[in-house]
Amino acid sequence: MENQTFYYDNKIVKNFAYATLFWGVIGMVVGLLLALQFIWPALTFGIPYTTFGRIRPIHTNAVIFAFVGNGMFTGIYYSLQRLCKARMFNDLLSKINFWGWQLIIVCAALTFAFGITTGKEYAELEWPIDILVAVIWIVFGWNMIGTIIKRRTGHIYVAIWFYIATFVTIAVLHVTNSLAIPVGLFKSYPIYAGVQDALVQWWYGHNAVAFFLTTPFLGLMYYFLPKAANRPIFSYKLSIVHFWALIFLYIWAGPHHLLYSALPNWAQSLGVVFSVMLIAPSWGGMVNGLLTLRGAWDRVREDPVLKFMVVAVTAYGMSTFEGPMMSTKTVNAISHFTDWTVGHAHIGALGWNGFLTFAVLYYLIPRIFQTHLFSRKIANLHFWIATLGIIFYAVPLYWGAITQASMWKEFTAAGFLKYPNFLETVTQLKPMYATRAIGGGLYIVGIVLGIYNLILTIKAGKFLPEEAASAPALAKIAGKRGSGEGVHRWLERRPVQFTIVALVAILIGGLIEIVPLYLVKTNIPTIASVKPYTPLELQGRDIYVREGCYTCHSQQVRPFRSETERYGEYAKAGEYVYDHPFQWGSKRNGPDLSREGVVSGRQYKPNSWHFNHMLNPQRLNEQSIMPSYKWLITDDLDLSTTAKKIRVMQFLGVPYPDGFDKIANDDLLLQAKGIADDLKSQGIQVEPTKEIIAMIAYLQRLGKDVHAAGMPTATITGK
Amino acid sequence: MLRDIFKSVGNIEIYGLISMIIFVVFFTLLILHTVSLKKKDVADFSRMPLDDFSDESKEL
Ligand code: HEC
Repeated sequence: MENQTFYYDNKIVKNFAYATLFWGVIGMVVGLLLALQFIWPALTFGIPYTTFGRIRPIHTNAVIFAFVGNGMFTGIYYSLQRLCKARMFNDLLSKINFWGWQLIIVCAALTFAFGITTGKEYAELEWPIDILVAVIWIVFGWNMIGTIIKRRTGHIYVAIWFYIATFVTIAVLHVTNSLAIPVGLFKSYPIYAGVQDALVQWWYGHNAVAFFLTTPFLGLMYYFLPKAANRPIFSYKLSIVHFWALIFLYIWAGPHHLLYSALPNWAQSLGVVFSVMLIAPSWGGMVNGLLTLRGAWDRVREDPVLKFMVVAVTAYGMSTFEGPMMSTKTVNAISHFTDWTVGHAHIGALGWNGFLTFAVLYYLIPRIFQTHLFSRKIANLHFWIATLGIIFYAVPLYWGAITQASMWKEFTAAGFLKYPNFLETVTQLKPMYATRAIGGGLYIVGIVLGIYNLILTIKAGKFLPEEAASAPALAKIAGKRGSGEGVHRWLERRPVQFTIVALVAILIGGLIEIVPLYLVKTNIPTIASVKPYTPLELQGRDIYVREGCYTCHSQQVRPFRSETERYGEYAKAGEYVYDHPFQWGSKRNGPDLSREGVVSGRQYKPNSWHFNHMLNPQRLNEQSIMPSYKWLITDDLDLSTTAKKIRVMQFLGVPYPDGFDKIANDDLLLQAKGIADDLKSQGIQVEPTKEIIAMIAYLQRLGKDVHAAGMPTATITGK
Repeated sequence: MLRDIFKSVGNIEIYGLISMIIFVVFFTLLILHTVSLKKKDVADFSRMPLDDFSDESKEL
């Protein structure tokens, strides 16, 4: 067949590469600011927009979706065209993908700073931006599948399978987890509540790690590693099994984020089993990557691209060993709620994603600029500083986590908690937090060096926007299976059918975990004393969500003696049935708050204490790392939303009486006045319509209903 | 072990059992397929990133 000449679109690759670098620096600098706030809480500058709870979502979303996201698009747009021997399907779609994605990122940063958030980790975007994400994602998928269809190769190379799985799974996860009923343009309530919300959220959260941070990067590994090493992948057969096993198993593992929680036991066990099984395909992938370099190790020493790749793949192997380990109940009892999880996440993000992203950039930027990397020396320096940065980041966090978990669990000989004051366990970690900040700082220095090197490379080169290539046109592929052709062989050249099979593979796990929680009533036993929040408490809860208190505080007591002693009754599924969204949290930089309002409980504090604490935590506890929320005292509560909020809650099945929305504000003001009067009796003058009153009302409600049920503290799992 | 887990889901354990069967069947077939791939095809597939017909094979 006659050769056709066509052009690769390098401009879109360049745009995504620049965006990757730009957002990488921003996302990580915000991360550094967060790290420093643990040492100097005053670094929030006393304004709402820079408090920990608001900028932590900026950091996580910027690194995941802006840095890694743009990095992924860079690599996919580069490799897909070359693996398909075709230009991208449609230039306009490429442009919409690029500019739409950047628009989403800007919207995300702004809305989070303003406290516009759903309060669900890594899915904090409110509904209008969620819709935009869905649209842009479809554009990406359409453009990709279009390219695959018009390819000039027969077989679809394994890297592309990973890209396809990324596209379909993220689409399903994003839509399912974001289903919500709007209260206004910037506020919505998820359709799920409590345990169900938690399960859907962590099914999403875990698989965002799997299908946004892992599968696309495995695809990149399968393309760029052979490319950089100039030798084919070690075992193509292994890559086939690797692919299917990984996507099939990953989707089940979400509940390992909810061990010892109120999630039914069967779901927790499923999460554990599948997480442990995941080691096999993950290590299959790592081994396949590393063995590709057998016999080329001398080149690894020389070539910065290979060097970054080796550390990336090794970090992938480390985190995918650590992850299943943390999913076992024994380790999870220690690691959960501590900074171990944060350390684990950063081995993945900085090591696997960060290093692979830079390997890809160091590989392709000189090529699209038709030149050489400006300086290998600087690239090597970047490599060593960043590696050191990861070590300085992770080691102190692991150490700190074990220290803190042991302090939480330690009892005196007489049977009392040895460290009943939670803050003691935080103060102990401050040197570790300082070292972590240094590690993060080093990593950023590395990146700045990398950018400098790339800028000089770009300056020295000449950009090639349209890269000519030629290949024979593909003979029309017969739709039917040829004789003697296996089903998988047939699938390997049919992108749409392939996409459907991948979709089925991931849906099986998702459905089996989520559907029974809706179908089987006994999974969430109701508790008669659990009542809906009052309008004032509901407003307070929304402020809690807005300020991102869940980024430091959990609301779920595990069934360990050390926790029931410290906080009170352990968490029950039935107590969260009106929580849209759930606020269980994932780490404890501050104490659990779910029993804060139990008057006879250990944690109970009068209204005036809460007032003073929110105004200035350091005045009550000098060592506290909690930021001040003084604007709650001066800002008015938005009463115009109350009725609408009640109606949406009613729509979601929360049993407020008919017509309650009309009298909700009367009820609210009455309760608010009670709190304001009480504060007055303590010498604190504050109007009942200020936000702080709603916040106090919410905090004082926490745990009351379960306590009223008078449940005995029984069946405690262990220390 | 898995059966015990599924039993406690509530009277729909058949659901889990079916999925396990799909899982086992699918992977058995997949492995059979993979093992039976022709050597030459596998070699061709795995070389795909390396022959992309543009001028990038030049060492940089
Ligand atoms: C940067 C992490 C951080 C954030 C964000 C944070 N806190 Fe705290 N919080 C702490 C720490 C640490 C303590 C323990 C020291 C203290 O009492 O200040 C604490 C203690 C508390 C306590 C007292 C708990 C007890 O029983 O001793 C309450 C109540 C509280 N926080 C509420 C909130 C609310 C409400 C928000 C959001 C508006 C919030 N916190 C945000 C870290 C944080």
